[in-house]
Amino acid sequence: MRVPLGWLRDYVELPADPAAVAEMLALLGFPVAAIEMRPAITGVIAGRIAELGKHPNADRLQVGRIDVGDGAPLTIATAATNVAAGQTIAVATIGARLPKLTIERRKMRGLESEGMMISADELALPEEWFEDGIMQFDESLQPGTDVVEYFRLSEAVLDVEITSNRVDAMSLIGLARELAAYQNVPLRTPDLSHPGGGAGGPKAEVTIESPDCRRFVAQIFTRVESGPSPAWMRIRLALAGQRPINRLVDISNYVMLETAQPLHFYDAGKIPNKHLIVRDAREGERFVALDSSEHELNPQALVIASETSAECLAGLMGARNSEVTDQTTEIILESANFSGPRIRRTAGQLGFRTEASSRHEKSLAPALTAVGAARAAQLLAQAGATPHEPVAFGEPLSAAAPIEFKISDVKRLLGYELPLPEISERLDGLGFKVEPLTGGVLRVVPPAWRTDITCSADVIEEIARMAGYDRISSEIPAVRAHDIASGDYRRERKAAVTLAALGYREIVTYSLHGAQVYDKIRRAGLDPPARPIEVQNPLSEEQRYLRHSLGPAMVTHLANANQPARAFEIGHIFYNEDRQPLETSMAFFAFSAEPRDEPEWHDSNYLRAKGDCEAFLREMTGESRFETAADEREGFHPGKTGVVLMGGREIAVVGQVDPRLQRTFESRLPIYACRIILSTLPPYDVPQFKPPSKLPSTYRDLALVCDADLPAQRLENALRSAAGAWCTAVIAFDEYRGSQVPPGKKSLAIRLTLQKPDATITDAEADAVVEKAVSALHAEFGVTLRV
Amino acid sequence: MNLADNLEDLRARFEDALKNSAGASSLDAVRVAFLGRSGEVTAVRRSIGKLPPAERPAAGQRINEAVEQMERALNEAQANAQALEVGASLSQRIDVTFPSIKPQQGSIHPMKRVMHDVCAYFERHGFAVVVGPEIEPDYYNFDALNIPPDHPAREGFDSFFLTPNLLLRPHTSPMQIRTMQQHRPPVAVVVPGTCYRRDAVDARHLFQFNQCEGLLIDEGVHMGHLKGMLTGMCREIFGSEQQVRFRPSYFPFTEPSAEVDTTCPLCRGAGGECRMCGGSGWIELGGAGMVHPNVLRNVEYDPDVYSGWAFGFGVERMALVRYDVDDIRRFFENDHAFLEQLA
Repeated sequence: MRVPLGWLRDYVELPADPAAVAEMLALLGFPVAAIEMRPAITGVIAGRIAELGKHPNADRLQVGRIDVGDGAPLTIATAATNVAAGQTIAVATIGARLPKLTIERRKMRGLESEGMMISADELALPEEWFEDGIMQFDESLQPGTDVVEYFRLSEAVLDVEITSNRVDAMSLIGLARELAAYQNVPLRTPDLSHPGGGAGGPKAEVTIESPDCRRFVAQIFTRVESGPSPAWMRIRLALAGQRPINRLVDISNYVMLETAQPLHFYDAGKIPNKHLIVRDAREGERFVALDSSEHELNPQALVIASETSAECLAGLMGARNSEVTDQTTEIILESANFSGPRIRRTAGQLGFRTEASSRHEKSLAPALTAVGAARAAQLLAQAGATPHEPVAFGEPLSAAAPIEFKISDVKRLLGYELPLPEISERLDGLGFKVEPLTGGVLRVVPPAWRTDITCSADVIEEIARMAGYDRISSEIPAVRAHDIASGDYRRERKAAVTLAALGYREIVTYSLHGAQVYDKIRRAGLDPPARPIEVQNPLSEEQRYLRHSLGPAMVTHLANANQPARAFEIGHIFYNEDRQPLETSMAFFAFSAEPRDEPEWHDSNYLRAKGDCEAFLREMTGESRFETAADEREGFHPGKTGVVLMGGREIAVVGQVDPRLQRTFESRLPIYACRIILSTLPPYDVPQFKPPSKLPSTYRDLALVCDADLPAQRLENALRSAAGAWCTAVIAFDEYRGSQVPPGKKSLAIRLTLQKPDATITDAEADAVVEKAVSALHAEFGVTLRV
Repeated sequence: MNLADNLEDLRARFEDALKNSAGASSLDAVRVAFLGRSGEVTAVRRSIGKLPPAERPAAGQRINEAVEQMERALNEAQANAQALEVGASLSQRIDVTFPSIKPQQGSIHPMKRVMHDVCAYFERHGFAVVVGPEIEPDYYNFDALNIPPDHPAREGFDSFFLTPNLLLRPHTSPMQIRTMQQHRPPVAVVVPGTCYRRDAVDARHLFQFNQCEGLLIDEGVHMGHLKGMLTGMCREIFGSEQQVRFRPSYFPFTEPSAEVDTTCPLCRGAGGECRMCGGSGWIELGGAGMVHPNVLRNVEYDPDVYSGWAFGFGVERMALVRYDVDDIRRFFENDHAFLEQLA
């Protein structure tokens, strides 16, 4: 909300420095987003045009004799056309400093001009909101008055942020009250008593058909004259960001800015029987608003209608039909209270928000209807209208419910004690009624305009705000023991630390992506998820889908690097199961590598990835041996992918990223990846120590010829069990295929390590074990020893 | 050949071998060849058996003397060889300033590092770290947190919806409710995690970000404890001189509520022309406050017995300040130079 400081000072004493006022507002909970400083303007005074005539030497110029109050009228030429004798206007005298120029004595077509008649623009006011030409003041302004000082045009404008619970403070008086209470100085409100109006005059009739209209004050004013508002009101509105329109509209906006209560004026001549009905809109009802916007309504919207048509979209804007015009002589004032959620829903549905709805939707206090009506009546009466008797419809105003709480609760929540007199004084400044009861209990009645105070915590916040949040101390609590575990977090943390230690860089990518990810999968000849999870209201197409895998972002990342790189990500993936969106925590690591010159049946990059996978699993589970099985997985190379098993359960997939995806994701290098569902990893099992034997061991390197498709792991396992209890290790370390072995066969070099628990193993014993084992392998797989 | 000749021949060949060997390893070979278990000396010893018994002791004596001499010579030669090798090694001079051979080094993402540091700080003070789902029903996101439908505060949480009542969480606060539903006080947790809001992306805003939530509920927990813990946290993350300031604010799930600021680490609170804090001397961290009695009631905690506080801070924002990063989007771009510099 734009708050002109010059206006705010009407209601409360404030420091001269706008930054000091902003700081105070911030410490009260109303941060100031910007302080708009006004240009320094000097030498502009009010002048009355005593005479006006044609310039002797120029058809387009006029020359005026301007009374500036000191008995020495100034002669000033102007090209403006909106001037006439008798007007009070803005005059920049010789030496005046304006934002864009300094006024000097000069000749205009041979005639000396002793100053300049100026427009709103020269006073740094929005030109298009004011008269075209010279700025006009009302007659009451004395010639010679310093315009900048009088209208406080040099005062800064604060852009104040108001939290949604404080609709009462979306007003100059509301903010002034806060500042007054905080500084412990008086609040100077304008006269908010109702000027009334004789009974027996014309009255409006209001029928409320919806519970969402809680109160409606209606009042008729006759002898209404339209025309422009006085300059002070137009200037204040303009500085507050409201375009001045005419005397009536301006009064309604002015009162809203001043008191927070939005108003609406109907041209009474256009309302049959002066009867207004608050009702649900009809299905398909057409509504043309004051701003000419057209809306098709439904019963969700609330309207204020005449007996013939909707005249106001409740809480939002009036209808063009009964708009006040220059011909209007009689008006009905509406100062009404509506249900916030109802107005909010309608505004949302119609995509139509106004200054009024931004207040109504935050649930104004019903009591403000009387305040707004009274202030408007004051201003209308000042403008010459005749007020008649106001009539209130709807629910009677009820006093706010008192809140009772122990004074000790103040300390319980804030951590420090405040004496009762200080509490009372602080709350009193904000309009609360405070009454101490017995037993250390305080009874507090919030002021009528505060709808946000409903419980003791609310009151204690008010006390804390007024006392200053700086009084809250800094203490370290002694946290008592509890039974909440950090397991899932620790697993994610450990996974990250382990992968970083294995040489992978952590990346963080967006969980939302566009359809192009699926296009790339499709172009690879693969199937994207059948039922992706879709965001219903993305801001852009790039945010439409929730990722089903960490893979695409990882492959994109590595492709962008365009040189060998290693990275990992830990994050959630999302999928539909039984139409229910689910998610799970994944770890995904990958590297890109230059292809190696290797036979087609061997890929050492795969073995590296598998090694990292095993090292990772070792750290995460405490287990040291894992089985791998060849398998196919979406996104992975069909012949270079293993699933890693633990206790027969799949815990990881490791392999080369499908080369078709490598191509559609535009990675120059092949990518090797491993994905682990973190939640399915077994918990860490602490390894137990077995003292290694001190007796020497021996080994035999065997070259075993077997079928080319026999997995090394199977042969290792078979050898291990055939070798019996003395076997301490079996590991394949080389593979050969080619002319030295028959077609369809391969030669595997396996090292078998043997050790006896109680004596040094002899060569003869070792050879016997080997012989027995090899013949067992021969029997099972047709394996022979290569000689 | 008699024994004497044999020994003489042996010695001659031994000395030749010694002369021709270079370095400790070839001396080892000489030792094996002559003095080893199946070496030449062993063969000579065996020949004693062929001598008449009376000559045997003297012959043994001569062999032993010869062996001793050979061993001495060998040891001496070995000592010399070792001294030469060490000497050669000691005389080596390399350019120690030549660029190192880099290990394959991984790293933790800077945002995650901040997240972990925050969690570690709270863990040290007895808090557990819990994580939760990113897809949450509106009950956990709003209703249970004292934000009924059509509440104006929902405007601050412009969310991505998957179904009419299922959304990507706009904050980590749903885990407050889940945790309190599962445990009775005392509750002391921090909740790190990814959140989503329909914000237009720019240098200061993301539509996806990470939050770190804190929650402490017990008897006698007050706002001073919140300030104390957050001051400690800021000192851990930004530096030992950090101060924390509370400003009143409004959140439906806390009352009293506060915006939390900490001293700008760049200008150390001096303000002026500081590009990081815009001259205010303070950096906004996020919202906090005493948990609203309605929220406590929603999880069947008695607000007259228990009190507590909660806070929720943006982790990227903290990382932005800690590492003096110019644009928050960098935390999701994973640029190599960015990750490497902040590794």
